[in-house]
Amino acid sequence: MSTPDFAAPKTGTTMAAGRGDVGAASSVLREPTGPTIPLNRLAPEAALRRLELTVVRRLEGFLQGDHLGLLPGPGSDLNDARLYVPGQDDVRRMDWAVTARTTVPHVRDTMADRELEVWALLDATPSMNWGTAGVTKRDLGIAAIATLGFISQKMGDRFGGMVMHSDSVRRYPARSGRQALYGLLGKLLDDPIERDNQGSGVGLPDGIEALIRTQRRRGMRIVVSDFLQPGDQVLDPNVPPDWERPLRRLAVRNQVLCIEVVDAGEVEFPDVGELLIRDPETDFARYVNTSDARARRMIDAASQAQRQRVDQAMRRAGVGHIRLQTDRDWVADIARFVLTYRRTAAVLHQPPQGVSK
Amino acid sequence: MNPGNPTEFLWWEFFDIRWLWCLVILPILVIAYILLLRLKRNRGMRYTQTGIVGAVLPRQSQWRRHVAVAMTLCSLVAITGAAARPVGVEKVPRERATVVIVLDQSLSMQATDIAPNRMDASRQAAKDFIDQLPAQYNVSIVGLSGTSGMLVPPTNDRALLDRVIDGMDLRDGTAIGDAIMASLSAIAQAPGEEGEEPAPAIIVLLSDGQNTAGNTDPMSAAAAAKAEEVPIHTIAFGTLNGYVDIDGQRANVAPDTALLADIAQASGGRALDAKSADQLDNVYQDMRSEVGYEEVKKEVTARWALYALAFAVVAALGAVSMAARWP
Repeated sequence: MSTPDFAAPKTGTTMAAGRGDVGAASSVLREPTGPTIPLNRLAPEAALRRLELTVVRRLEGFLQGDHLGLLPGPGSDLNDARLYVPGQDDVRRMDWAVTARTTVPHVRDTMADRELEVWALLDATPSMNWGTAGVTKRDLGIAAIATLGFISQKMGDRFGGMVMHSDSVRRYPARSGRQALYGLLGKLLDDPIERDNQGSGVGLPDGIEALIRTQRRRGMRIVVSDFLQPGDQVLDPNVPPDWERPLRRLAVRNQVLCIEVVDAGEVEFPDVGELLIRDPETDFARYVNTSDARARRMIDAASQAQRQRVDQAMRRAGVGHIRLQTDRDWVADIARFVLTYRRTAAVLHQPPQGVSK
Repeated sequence: MNPGNPTEFLWWEFFDIRWLWCLVILPILVIAYILLLRLKRNRGMRYTQTGIVGAVLPRQSQWRRHVAVAMTLCSLVAITGAAARPVGVEKVPRERATVVIVLDQSLSMQATDIAPNRMDASRQAAKDFIDQLPAQYNVSIVGLSGTSGMLVPPTNDRALLDRVIDGMDLRDGTAIGDAIMASLSAIAQAPGEEGEEPAPAIIVLLSDGQNTAGNTDPMSAAAAAKAEEVPIHTIAFGTLNGYVDIDGQRANVAPDTALLADIAQASGGRALDAKSADQLDNVYQDMRSEVGYEEVKKEVTARWALYALAFAVVAALGAVSMAARWP
């Protein structure tokens, strides 16, 4: 009989925090072979029950949902009686009692009962299969989807997912219930890791277009990406990135949340001596002396300018923006965002001029 | 240890040339290096924001990497050469030699362009030269004039030589070819043990004028000296505007440097010229290193190994400077 192991389980997500293995750091050398985080550690489901995403845009659906629409529509809750508008209102909904009492035709209005349909687009291009801390950017994105999914788990709400590779966009249909959500998350995690420098052609704009094309109901859309275009060198915030236009179109009918996933190695260029740096998506390969403090400063400043450009583009498109970092606790970051979002959502998601909510 | 026969390969001679077959590996290494440079996409660190890295990064020099590789290759070449036992030339003092000094005693030697006159300056310099030669060398004196002939057969009696030089008188004519032939016959008279090969011989020819007389053409005499492996070192003595007054007529007696240089080249010696007594002393100094030392081929493996080590150290420093993060 072997002696039982009474040692405390390893905790933490980085080596410094006591984790035995190197986490996702081997993704710096080669593509990861699988997910770097198990399904049961994606999000603390029970702790998220009390959070709720504020939905301010118009929704569609038939069920007795938790999301009250801002406009009246077909439903079962009686709301009020109002004047009958010929040609617009159904005569079957005529409120005869009020009509008789006022001698003016009235219809009975019902409170719209909506269900929320959430679609998440996960960018799984090779630049997302990278991370210097505990998880890769792709797995952090899946964890963010899981967190938002558990937050939006209300009766009848449905959650669907799309995975964008550099050659195709894969779609997992929207289903309701937490088992379906777990199934979706498992599928996202098991989605094959893309090899470096393989096919190309599908970029983030195409992924967002696919999200626009497949939508049938209004609802919430979540775009998870690093919002880095391969080989993009523009730093001027006034030049819109090429995903801004599709994102605006997506935001016309939907409430859009963008989750930008960054890594500490991108925020602060590492000091690791002279090494060959290559890009997993482009054919860039160059020896860089990372010990050069001036070069590191310049790169850090440039990447900060790039993130500001992403910020501005999202503000112009009128979408919510969460920035998550692989070496931080994403649940805390998302919870903080959701609490603030309750107050700011109505202002943030003002629809474009001439578009109803 | 028997050094064996040296074989020349490219610019250097080696005793054991078979080792140089190892150099065949070098082109393979170079090709491998170039191939690795081509395949570098498969190595290196993945990084995502390479667009801005490429745009923003200042130009960083890459020469250290290539210098390290080149130094490694140089080190391999040097170590392979060292294994092949390279041949170096070293100057060793001669054990024995026969030196024939041909002194001009023609009338042109009375010119006074060199103080006090050419003859006296030449005598003094020649005596100094003979005094500084190693004592076991045999020295012979040949007078150069219209009737050139051996004055002293090869001997190591320095006092006799001094006396003969002091007693040289001026004569008419200059027969360089005859003087060379007389020198060769003097060399043949050099004393030596039976069965021992004769000591190496050297002719030092000092002349200050044109070849005017003689039965032998100077160039054919030089060829004869070459055939007997006797180098002739020539000294053209005097200035271009030296003159003598003979029978009331003034004659220009410039040395024939072209002819002397041809003689030296044909026989494998050196051609020098002296325009003053000081220069003549310097020329005789040069002559002493020619006469007193011989060049011997020796193995210089250690020096090549040192070169290989130096190259290897430079290559290692280059590699370390790239790999390490200096604090």
